[in-house]
Amino acid sequence: MTTGNGSIADFITRNRIWRSIFRQGYPDNDENRAKAIVNSWFLHIHPVKVKVHSLKLTYTWGLGIISFVLFLILIVTGAWLMFFYVPSVQSAYTDVQNLETAVTFGALMRSLHRWSAHLMVVVVFLHMCRVFFTGAYKHPREFNWVIGVLLWVVTMVLSFTGYLLPWDQLSYWAVTVSTNIVGSFPLIGEPLRRLLLGAAEAGQPALVRFYALHIIVLPAIMVILIGIHFWRIRKDGGLSSPAEASENGNDKQ
Amino acid sequence: MTNNNVPVQEIFPRDPSRTYGLMELVKGTSPMVDKGPEDTVMSWPNLLVLELLAALGTTVVLLLWSAFVKAPLRELANPNVTENPAKAAWYFLSLQELLLHMHPVLAGLVMPGLVIVLLMAIPYIDRSKKDVGKWFASKKGRKIAFWSGVYTFACLIGLVLFDEFIRVRSIVSQPEAVPGWIIPVFVNAGLILLLYRAIRRWRPSRREVLVGLFTAFTVTYFTLTIVGVFFRGLGMHLVWPWDLPPGALPF
Ligand code: HEM
Repeated sequence: MTTGNGSIADFITRNRIWRSIFRQGYPDNDENRAKAIVNSWFLHIHPVKVKVHSLKLTYTWGLGIISFVLFLILIVTGAWLMFFYVPSVQSAYTDVQNLETAVTFGALMRSLHRWSAHLMVVVVFLHMCRVFFTGAYKHPREFNWVIGVLLWVVTMVLSFTGYLLPWDQLSYWAVTVSTNIVGSFPLIGEPLRRLLLGAAEAGQPALVRFYALHIIVLPAIMVILIGIHFWRIRKDGGLSSPAEASENGNDKQ
Repeated sequence: MTNNNVPVQEIFPRDPSRTYGLMELVKGTSPMVDKGPEDTVMSWPNLLVLELLAALGTTVVLLLWSAFVKAPLRELANPNVTENPAKAAWYFLSLQELLLHMHPVLAGLVMPGLVIVLLMAIPYIDRSKKDVGKWFASKKGRKIAFWSGVYTFACLIGLVLFDEFIRVRSIVSQPEAVPGWIIPVFVNAGLILLLYRAIRRWRPSRREVLVGLFTAFTVTYFTLTIVGVFFRGLGMHLVWPWDLPPGALPF
């Protein structure tokens, strides 16, 4: 169904090409609004309807969505950086220098990637705080909170593995300091440090390992965890709201 | 499971020319029991517009930020030239701060491990569904959070200053386990216990106790990060931010 009033929206949405892609007309009535969500691969993770309360800015502060947007920006800029970067101690540093000076938009893309990463660590932490302080971890969302804590850890580790890649003094010593902490653990410490670095000191093997972790292993883990996280939000009945407080028979106020 | 799929208004269309009376209240297990009328809106466009705005806002802010502030790049890595201070990434600086005051296993393994395990345990400790969706649970929760934050901040500043200017190790350094393990464990456990006892005096719910403890955690993470980033100079000694050696900021 479309408006049928000959408007531009009508013209665009009433033809075979549009319909072959979207399977419904312009979402100007509730039926099409519902279909716009359930018929779309990208949108179908959303429920058709949401509680008014969950749209309140002062409830979520949009922090979960912003975390996700930052992750998307990081994937796009990160893939772009990969075109110009080779994880070798001979060339990594000059590759980054070239990005800064010779590659079109290189400096901008690198800065975007760097600052998004820092901001994501901050925003994910703030999101955790908002979930905690609103009591949104309570039943039935216990497990999604646990997934969340893992997401926080993975976000930091992902950021940390990227820290080594420019192979400058900042990266080198940050990673040396951090892996030395690991190395001081009893029994497993030293083997674990060597496993991370692939050698006694940070060098070529460490660079390749951190690179592989940074561009595929950890992002894959992150994608899976975010997938579970979003799926659980749906399964747990959408976002928490004060209306749920009285639902539980044995603890009513 | 919440079931909001049955729109009340459509089963009983409202007709302004009639009056309605409530006939009976029933006890039962229908999904609508204990629920008011639906309070939902279509996701399209209400939610999607907000998501789009969040995405655009984030992108614009980052573009501006990145256009004006370039990502740092120092000299080529050189294993022979130790950076001083050698700092970890800023989000690990709270751990590096702990490292200055206790055994590395305590600072780098036990403490972060405990924090992660305890964080994950939160929903299994606070199992009531009271006050879901209410910031800080209650007025009392708000007060507990505030005073817990103040207390934690004051304790941390005191501890950091004490270990810099008086130094635990100048009082007892042998055997290593005393300054490395025993003193840090007892001091920290003691301060947390004290906080817990103080919170208990408010007669709080479990949730409110957790609010106090979680606040202590966030304030610790925040304070130690700020100290690590802005107040640690040569040899990781305390300095004012304006006296930091060049290149001491880890970003
Ligand atoms: C990459 C990191 C993360 C992403 C992309 C993410 C994304 C989201 C989004 C989009 C929501 C919807 C509501 C909102 O925006 O608040 C949400 C809710 C939630 N998140 Fe996260 N999140 C992340 C990390 C975390 C962390 C670290 C925790 C907790 C430790 C957490 C726990 C939760 C819980 C329990 C909910 C349900 C809240 C409610 O029902 O009110 N998430 N998350």
